[in-house]
Amino acid sequence: MNARRYDAMVVGGGACGLVAAAYLARGGAATLLLEARNKLGGRLETIAFGDGFSAPAVTHALSALDPRVMKELKLARQGLRFSARDMALSVLRRDGKPLTLSRDRHATRRAIAAVSEADAARWPLFRKRLFAAARAMRGFWWEDGALPDERAIQESIQDLRRKSAAAWLDAAFESDALKAPFAFDAMAGGLSPLDAGSALVPLWQAAQEMCGLQGAVAFPAGGPASLASVLERAARAAGADIRTGAAVESVLLDGDAVSGVRLASDEVIAANLVLAALPRRRVLRDLVPAGAAGFALSNALDRAAPVTAAKILLALDRDPGLPAGRIVVAERIESLAAAHAAARAGKIPDELALEIVSPSSIESGFAPAGQCALSIAVRPLPRLDAAGWNAARGDLLKRVLAALGACVPNAARHVVASEVLTPFDIEARYGARDMQADIAHMLSPWRARVATPIRGLYACGGDAEAVPCTSGRAGRIAAAIALAERAP
Amino acid sequence: MAVRAVSLALGPQGPDDRARGGFRPCWAWLGVGVRYDACVIGSGADGLTAAAWLARAGLATRVIERESVPGGRLAFREFHPGFRAPAFVDEPAPVPDALFHAFDLARAGAILVPAPTSLAVWPGRAHFMRRGETAFLAKMQLRVAALRARAEAEAARVPPRWTLLGKREPTPPWPSGDLCTESLDGVLRRHASGDEAAHLLAQALCGRTADPFLAGSALHLAVPSGGGVAMSGRLPQALAGIARDAGAEISCGLEAIEVARVKGRIAGVTMADGSVIEARAVISTLDLKRTLLSLFRWNELSGDLAQQVNQFRFAGGTARLLVALEHLPGCQRDALRGPIHLAPSAEGFAEANAAWRAGTIPPHPPATIRVVSASDPGLAPRGAASVAVTLSGIALRPFDGAWTHDKREALRTAALAALDAVFPGAKVLASEVIAPPDFEESLGLTGGDLWGGEIAPDQMFAARMGPRTPIAGLYLGGPSSAAGVLGACFGGFVAARALLADREAGRP
Repeated sequence: MNARRYDAMVVGGGACGLVAAAYLARGGAATLLLEARNKLGGRLETIAFGDGFSAPAVTHALSALDPRVMKELKLARQGLRFSARDMALSVLRRDGKPLTLSRDRHATRRAIAAVSEADAARWPLFRKRLFAAARAMRGFWWEDGALPDERAIQESIQDLRRKSAAAWLDAAFESDALKAPFAFDAMAGGLSPLDAGSALVPLWQAAQEMCGLQGAVAFPAGGPASLASVLERAARAAGADIRTGAAVESVLLDGDAVSGVRLASDEVIAANLVLAALPRRRVLRDLVPAGAAGFALSNALDRAAPVTAAKILLALDRDPGLPAGRIVVAERIESLAAAHAAARAGKIPDELALEIVSPSSIESGFAPAGQCALSIAVRPLPRLDAAGWNAARGDLLKRVLAALGACVPNAARHVVASEVLTPFDIEARYGARDMQADIAHMLSPWRARVATPIRGLYACGGDAEAVPCTSGRAGRIAAAIALAERAP
Repeated sequence: MAVRAVSLALGPQGPDDRARGGFRPCWAWLGVGVRYDACVIGSGADGLTAAAWLARAGLATRVIERESVPGGRLAFREFHPGFRAPAFVDEPAPVPDALFHAFDLARAGAILVPAPTSLAVWPGRAHFMRRGETAFLAKMQLRVAALRARAEAEAARVPPRWTLLGKREPTPPWPSGDLCTESLDGVLRRHASGDEAAHLLAQALCGRTADPFLAGSALHLAVPSGGGVAMSGRLPQALAGIARDAGAEISCGLEAIEVARVKGRIAGVTMADGSVIEARAVISTLDLKRTLLSLFRWNELSGDLAQQVNQFRFAGGTARLLVALEHLPGCQRDALRGPIHLAPSAEGFAEANAAWRAGTIPPHPPATIRVVSASDPGLAPRGAASVAVTLSGIALRPFDGAWTHDKREALRTAALAALDAVFPGAKVLASEVIAPPDFEESLGLTGGDLWGGEIAPDQMFAARMGPRTPIAGLYLGGPSSAAGVLGACFGGFVAARALLADREAGRP
């Protein structure tokens, strides 16, 4: 039995949960974090496969770690280092020539000019506008602020929420090589690039800052898993207690307020503040007693994302010579839209879109010398059950190798080991569902995204973020809101 | 050549013009003709309504029509001796009640008979709906009424002459903004169950192409269709009669090719035969692209405007097959008078939309069968039947080239298969295919799109141009205007209202 009495409880030891625990403890609450698995970090885990290879299981790059979290939790002092910051985005297409978009304006311009002169001329203005809008929205997505009152911003938001990414990109650029990666990024939340409002997703992504660099993507030294241990140290340093292997079975209520949690071992821990760093759907449907969340809300939670994503890890015995950074394999907006439609209809699309990060080319330790580990995110994929995915596992790997081989000849021949994490595996292992990006959700204030109808219960899982990312922001803001609203 | 000479000669104004406080292009001295207050391009329901409304207000109005008879999309076609059918649409969109009464259309001879029933058929089951039974449709009609009121308010509001920088007056929002972020499937599922939802979906998407799962597709509910069968195709004649009685001139067989401007003001319209009609204002009922890109020279539009027009997307995807049947199919009489949707589920519509995007002809496109001679017996010989099959999701430009004879035959086969599924064994005497390019060619609709542009949140309401355009004196009254999709005749009516409001305020 735990002798200490806790003020606040955090359920779930992923990045968000750890950040929330650290902030609650910093705010003066006696905090306990409960993690069901024996290991902290959730989706940040690195898994070993093949002969001496390893790769990040789900999250293979940090796209948006909140700079405030870094500063306030002193993550650098806890040992957070980056082996790659501001990773370039490369587009691989069947015509073979990679197009690399990096922060170096001149190099990017030259690269785009090789594809299209007109687009090269439009690129600086496009970036400038995107980041100007992103900067103006900063208060809204960094803190629990309101949408900026400025008329120009309001208009551009109103414009973008009605625009599909396809229409937005068609208006901005002429070459498919430039449109395809943005359309792929716009699909991050499970939307089709033809969905009205999907143009907001790239805006969100541009706004997510990392080390003060807008829209930057980084790779921490030691892989994303090292972020979990850094955050764990930060949470402990702030005074939070952490228990692993403690699965929470239900949240206990006293009237309309939280009174504690019951563990799978029947142990009851009392606390009148619970932050669940789990998908909102799980919190409100599985953890609280039926009916407590209200009818309308639990009805709305039934909407699952129509499409999912998988992860393929490949071990290659030779470096295939891929460009450094983040690589997107996508042909055209139309093919992405067709793939989304096929996935939604329950079929594995003929033409898969991939996002590749090669951890071994960023730092050694992920593969034996001279060899290469690839971490490949595949989406969109259909939502199938366990049996469906077990049957489709081999097919998926074959198609991914074919898609990769179309752009990187010979890559498939050098594959010595592979690991397929189907959407079902990811959900079963990390308990996280693919979130459905929703325009209303993207434009709702933080409070609406983390608060629940139950007093003292907050949901700050990955789906509290507007678009999928590992920012820790949901944890920070949920903790701040919870502490502010705590009964004196 | 003659045309160019005339337009290049639009020179400085004569001294007597300044005395009159107006302007006259040089051809006026050549004695070409009278000057009209307004020239309406196109004589569909919109064009005739605009002309009638303007003429009633006392304006000298002239309507120009490329075809030999007025009517536009309401035209009927005799596709086999003794068999006639509406060529492009089974029913016009609903005419707003106020307009119907203001023109006293019934007395003028236009009888619109609403379909009493609607039937949706799937393999092994069917769903039957009587008119006025569905509460959801009544709710949608209220929404459309609110949208129409907003469109009329827009027409009546004359934009201020001067605006201080950044002091633009905010425009009131359009109602039904909530539909912009929802999917059609989601909305219908919330309001109806199972078969009824699928039936309403088929009704909403009849002849259109859209993916009902995409956010924003719910807007199709705000765009009404099915305003009743225009008996014997007499609606255009009735409207033309009203316009003529009010004093408007209707000239058929004239094709407008250019809007002439003098010092930024509309001066007249140049015809394909070189003649010029002088007019102070022009209401175009052509779609947005055709109006701004084909009636103006490329360098007359500002860069932003040209880009905005170029990026306007068109969907279309409608194809039709007119069929002459030897016998009226034996079926319940009421059911024959309404549409029979042989439409798939929402997934089927999504698939048809994907095929349309890819430019392939789907083997089983969503189809709506209409026994047009059941409600209007004059369209077929006694005992026989005229049937129109409307297909949706048919690409304007197939991925492998033009619409060849083979592709038309494939379309015919697909439509006849749909017909055979509903009326097995019906004997077909003759049939005529109307493919998407035919819509584009005969009606002058870009992309063959009867709705004047893809129905998407970034292309509706405030995002659609009209009735006023950035070109002073040019009004957009066709399907591409914000009001044009809200009902038959309504786009033209709103454009005419805007023109009159501007005139009253002393604008050109």
